[in-house]
Amino acid sequence: MRDAVILEARNLTKRYRLGTRDVDALRGVSLQVRRGEFVALMGPSGSGKSTLLQLLGGLDRPTSGEVVLDGEVVSHLSDAEATRLRREKTGFVFQFFNLIPLLDVYENVALPYTIAGVDPRHGDAADRIREVLELVDLQGRERNRPDQLSAGEQQRVALARALVAKPAILLADEPTGNLDYATGGEILDELWHSCDALGQTIVLVTHDARAAAHADRVLVVGDGKIRDEIELGRRSTNRDAGPLIARLAQLGL
Amino acid sequence: MRRLSSLAWRSLGARKLRSFLTMVGIGLGVAVLYVSLSAGAAMDAAVDKAAADEIGKADVRVLALEERGLSKATVDVIDRIAGVSVVAPALERRSYLSASLTQTPTATLPPPVTVLGIDPVREPMLHDLPLVSGRLLAATDGQSALITQTLASGERLGLGDTISLNGTVAAGPQDYKIVGIVRGDGPLPRAEGRLVFLPLDSAQTLFGTTSITRVDLRAGPGVSVDELVGQLDATIQTQPYLLSRTQDLADSLRAEMADFRGALLLVAAVVLFAGAFLIFNTLSMTVAERGREVGLLRAAGTTRSQVMSFVLLQALVLGVLGSVLGVVCGIGLAVLTLSWVRSSGALDLAAPVLSAGSIAMALLIGVGITLAASLEPAWRAGRIPPVEALRRGPNGAVAGAARLRWLVLVFGVLALAALAMWPRASAGSSTGSLATGSGSSMWGPLVVYGLLLSTVLLLPLILGPLLRVAGLPFRIFRNEERLARSSLARDRSRTALTAGALVVSLAMVVALGTAAQNVRKIGANWLAETIPGSELLTSIRPISTTDPIIGQLAAVPGIKSISPIGIFGAPYVYTTQSGGRSHKSVVRQEAAAIVGRDYLGDGRLTFVAGDRASALGALDASGSVIVPESLADAANIRVGDSVEFATSTAPSRLHVVGIVAHSIPAGAQEAILIGWSDALNQFGVSGADFYAVRFVPGQEALGRAALDSAATSYALQPNDLDRVTGTVGDALDRIFRLLDALALIAVLVAGLGMVNTLSMTVLERGREIGVLRATGMTSRQVWGMVVIEAGILGVVGAIIGALVGLAVGALLVLWSSGGFGLAFDPPWPSIGLAVCFGILVSITAAIYPAGLASRQSIVQALQHE
Repeated sequence: MRDAVILEARNLTKRYRLGTRDVDALRGVSLQVRRGEFVALMGPSGSGKSTLLQLLGGLDRPTSGEVVLDGEVVSHLSDAEATRLRREKTGFVFQFFNLIPLLDVYENVALPYTIAGVDPRHGDAADRIREVLELVDLQGRERNRPDQLSAGEQQRVALARALVAKPAILLADEPTGNLDYATGGEILDELWHSCDALGQTIVLVTHDARAAAHADRVLVVGDGKIRDEIELGRRSTNRDAGPLIARLAQLGL
Repeated sequence: MRRLSSLAWRSLGARKLRSFLTMVGIGLGVAVLYVSLSAGAAMDAAVDKAAADEIGKADVRVLALEERGLSKATVDVIDRIAGVSVVAPALERRSYLSASLTQTPTATLPPPVTVLGIDPVREPMLHDLPLVSGRLLAATDGQSALITQTLASGERLGLGDTISLNGTVAAGPQDYKIVGIVRGDGPLPRAEGRLVFLPLDSAQTLFGTTSITRVDLRAGPGVSVDELVGQLDATIQTQPYLLSRTQDLADSLRAEMADFRGALLLVAAVVLFAGAFLIFNTLSMTVAERGREVGLLRAAGTTRSQVMSFVLLQALVLGVLGSVLGVVCGIGLAVLTLSWVRSSGALDLAAPVLSAGSIAMALLIGVGITLAASLEPAWRAGRIPPVEALRRGPNGAVAGAARLRWLVLVFGVLALAALAMWPRASAGSSTGSLATGSGSSMWGPLVVYGLLLSTVLLLPLILGPLLRVAGLPFRIFRNEERLARSSLARDRSRTALTAGALVVSLAMVVALGTAAQNVRKIGANWLAETIPGSELLTSIRPISTTDPIIGQLAAVPGIKSISPIGIFGAPYVYTTQSGGRSHKSVVRQEAAAIVGRDYLGDGRLTFVAGDRASALGALDASGSVIVPESLADAANIRVGDSVEFATSTAPSRLHVVGIVAHSIPAGAQEAILIGWSDALNQFGVSGADFYAVRFVPGQEALGRAALDSAATSYALQPNDLDRVTGTVGDALDRIFRLLDALALIAVLVAGLGMVNTLSMTVLERGREIGVLRATGMTSRQVWGMVVIEAGILGVVGAIIGALVGLAVGALLVLWSSGGFGLAFDPPWPSIGLAVCFGILVSITAAIYPAGLASRQSIVQALQHE
């Protein structure tokens, strides 16, 4: 099972209209992510890595090409079907946490259940929410509102929310971009832990080599294409970014 | 500054729909204001015209207080007063065209005509009678007549034709040759255009009298009106009379319309408030969206006042465009409104005049309110720090205190504007009476206005529980309801203000509906309680109590009793204490001559003091009077007191034998009740004005049919009591419905405000909505969430609006009922309709912002900088 492809992009292109001219954000990207794999997408800003992540998660549609997530062609789904797919199979973590300020920690984490019409206060859902809160080390903070939490805690809530429904794939867009060095490190460790211990598939977008060094494999995006693929392998202890940085330097990044 | 002003233009242009909606909101407010102003102007014009028509170039009018009129001797006395240059006596009576009576033997009588007997020489010296053809009456004319254009076309009469008028039974119908046609309706509004002028002598012959109804006087050179009045007071000793001057007449006419004008102004204020709220929201949104731009401008060296004028300039543009739009719509609306009011017959109005004054005033107030509403957002924009340029995303946070400041400011400006336009209060008139509760007090509307303001101010405090209650109907969509409710709770003062505009406008709708229903009901109960019968036979002229007609009518099968009632003005001597000295003045007090025993049987008339049986018996015996509670309270009258009347024979004193809760309505008063023998012998009453008919139980249909045909042959108009109250109620209903329609405009404006507010919250919550969508919320769910948000707002507005409306309605009823103790009975179905309308408007208002929210691109919403 471990080697089964869970996410596949086939020759994706994305063209935006900017004023009067067209901009090609993606120019034919193909990739495969295996179940349980931790993949990082790296590249300078404007390289198209965030666009690629949005297409992979079904947040946006490609101009051409297709995305297959867990056997379903995402790019051909209607809005309602794509929404269902997102609800059931993906979890997102964003740079700016994006918690709902009106809801407390528990309610924010429970959001995927609430939206799906499942009562998050009882039964399996409640157990699962307790479980992920424990996983991100936030037990006891359930009644706090986002503005009562530190940035790192807020991002951990966002991570718990992304993980709670056991998504087939977790998509993280610069999750440490808005955090200090130490807190960012903690979040990356949490991500790695969920992948290693729980078999969670992760696609991480980052321009930070230290973050990318947590991944099993790094895809370097540039000019709307995959420019290189760096296989790092699963490393449980030494996640030194040195070799990766050296390789990126070779690529001129 | 040129570049800043172009930025203001672009800012408006960038949000075309929002700018347009705001303009429409201001426009609607100004339109209703214009209606209010032009109705006021039209009423003033009508009043001035009516007063001028009535009194013309005369300085003073001496009006007979007694039915029998002023005698020849009194007129001669007036004629001899030094310092009078012109004395024009006239006799006013109502009659029927004899041709129309014989031609139409139906259950309904043709409309009567008013006959004005004038002195052919003196009358034209004081009154202009513009002719369309023919000539004026001449001193030598005998059987000649002038008729109005309206009567001529209605009866197909022309110059040289003969008009036949019914007079006394003895005189029989008389024929007159039409020598001239007076333009339009003629000078007497109460004649409704059916007016015939005869030489005074001919008119007196026709009606078998030597007396006159009024004398118009003009002071001679060097004699002031006050001197003239003093002379009259000293000279006329034998007969009771009333003096009035043009200004008195205009004032009393104005006082009659003051309530309507006050209500119109109040409604205009409410619509303008809703419009002002729209402005506030629009500019708040602009300030929120452009916070970064403003920060940049500030960083680049723009001063605070420049930033403020940037916002105020936008407000000015919106205000001017909206007000111009409003005046244009208002002119159309005024034409519709005034024709509606005219058709109700409740008020006599000329066509709306395009007055520069009203247009300027509406524009001024429209722009003024807009600027007042925009001061707060402008001030807030001025305080945006340059570092705002470095922050991301719109920052729409407005402190609750700022909003309250704004609210009080706008309410204050509106109140000042309304006070400035308040219909001029009458300075007291010599036709005055002890009328209670009438007149143009501004306290009532002010209290209502204050109640509305405090409701909006208190709303944020009770918002939490309110939202929970209002969310109940939407609980089936649990998640959307929960999210919508928490979004509303996020910024309580904004939510309260948005709901507040709806509360205020719905409250007006509900209050007016409630008042209409209760006033109608009061009218019905009033007559049912004071008229001894279920059918009224009205006559255009008093019918003598000795006339055999009463016996003949009583003999009609199915009729149990016929009770004659005469309405007349009694010269009531009113004693006031000033400076330790008592001062006596004579005022006209409406009175009704009744048969006391006719009230004994069925318990009509509610006695609050005095013994019912003995009081009614004493009334028939003579020397007694029954007083309505309203008068008893105003003049401090108790059972056992005696009241004085300045009757012509000798001052008469009547003994108060009872006080009743309500009495027969006459004019704007409740009549005092006097026995027939006193009325005939002491007050100069010549006969009954109407008969109250009671049917034998179970034979109503038979009796009514027989009565209807019998009555018409005696020139009596049969009227079902229900129909009488119905007609009065219909006229009132039309007025109330008009006010209601205008108040509904306020609900629409509140709806526009809601479009803006919801758009603003959608804009602010863009990122949040993005997260919800990314987490798996469907666009339909997002749509539902925004619509439910509006629905909850609508329910809050509807609940509070209905409650406040009921309270305001109860106040209006209390003020207008003259203390009529009636169980408060709100019109639940129409309140239900108003509530549904409010919710519907809210939900409709959500469609556009909900679409915005559901179509929002997730990627854009989540995009980081």
